[in-house]
Amino acid sequence: MDMNEKNVEEKVEESRPELPDTREGRLVKALIEKAPYAEGSVRRERRVEFRVSVERIHEFLELASETFEMLMQISVVDWIKEGEFELVYQLWSVSESVHAFVRTRIPRENAKLPTVMDVWPVAETYEREAHEFFGIIFEGNPRLGPFILEEREYKKHPLRKDFNMLGHVKAIYGEDFDRYDESKTNYVI
Amino acid sequence: MSEIGNDGVISYELKEFKLFEPLFKWARKKSLWIVAFCTGCGGIEIPPLATARYDFERFGIMPNPSPRMGDLFLITGYVTPKTLKRIIITYEMMQDPKYILAHGSCPINGGVYWDSYNVVKQLDRYIPVDVAIAGCMPRPEAVMDGIMEMMRRIEDGTADGWKRYRENYEYYRRNQDELFGEGWREKEARRWLAWI
Repeated sequence: MDMNEKNVEEKVEESRPELPDTREGRLVKALIEKAPYAEGSVRRERRVEFRVSVERIHEFLELASETFEMLMQISVVDWIKEGEFELVYQLWSVSESVHAFVRTRIPRENAKLPTVMDVWPVAETYEREAHEFFGIIFEGNPRLGPFILEEREYKKHPLRKDFNMLGHVKAIYGEDFDRYDESKTNYVI
Repeated sequence: MSEIGNDGVISYELKEFKLFEPLFKWARKKSLWIVAFCTGCGGIEIPPLATARYDFERFGIMPNPSPRMGDLFLITGYVTPKTLKRIIITYEMMQDPKYILAHGSCPINGGVYWDSYNVVKQLDRYIPVDVAIAGCMPRPEAVMDGIMEMMRRIEDGTADGWKRYRENYEYYRRNQDELFGEGWREKEARRWLAWI
């Protein structure tokens, strides 16, 4: 019985993980103390994760840029069922060798965010790309507009999940390569 | 160089040198100079061909920096509309006779990008392809076989893509204009080729 009780206690502890006493854990703890509105966790060695609400994302990134000097990428996930875009700012700390994901969610309709160009100037390129493929508007970025894509695709924001890929392909490249059903279930090959 | 005979057939060979035409064909087949336009993933398949194991220089094939001196246009993988603009301009800059070798399944029917918004599905609608090698990606053996096939076709005169491009220029031009919009040469190509 004693053994069982011990096991139960351990399991309870495991289900609510505290920040570990490692380099990453101390890093997250220090940042969370400065910014109590953010949630932080450690995913594994050299990989940490934060969740911030969109209202305070700029404030948080400015704070985080003291530890995480480099912005490596801004990636976007389209959660169409929730009706939200998830933006992932991927930061790299040169001094600590830690990779951080800063996640924030914004509604899909009229998606707007403040730009982080004043924190990392390189964000201009990543924001242009996110704007082009998903139609997110970064307020304060002066160069939003057609970037890599042609005008025709730029208007439709092709990496959104509700972009009608097959219809677009058929309209542009013709129908005579047709080898599938519209429903993508029956392949005619 | 071309002239229309009494029977309405266009002859591309100089009449004075008709006798030497087999010699010219043999010379063309044995001196294919490549325009190395490495699109897509096949560009990395060219170094094994050029180096010691397959060594395509023993067939007279040579990588070549200028499209003006090229005979063989390698299209090594998928082609996006933006690349296709460059390919068409480069192809039109090459001197006759010129041959196109398309690697992989992407130029044939889109390959794994069959439902991608940004990959041209049938390259043959926009420029004439002489030999297409299936596979994703074809191994160097397959590419060598494609080059041998190209040589056979040059010898018996069936590698006639450059003639087809001249004779059916309206068809190719119409397809290109459908894809890029009217006046794309004036709008886009002038940005990188000022003399067009």
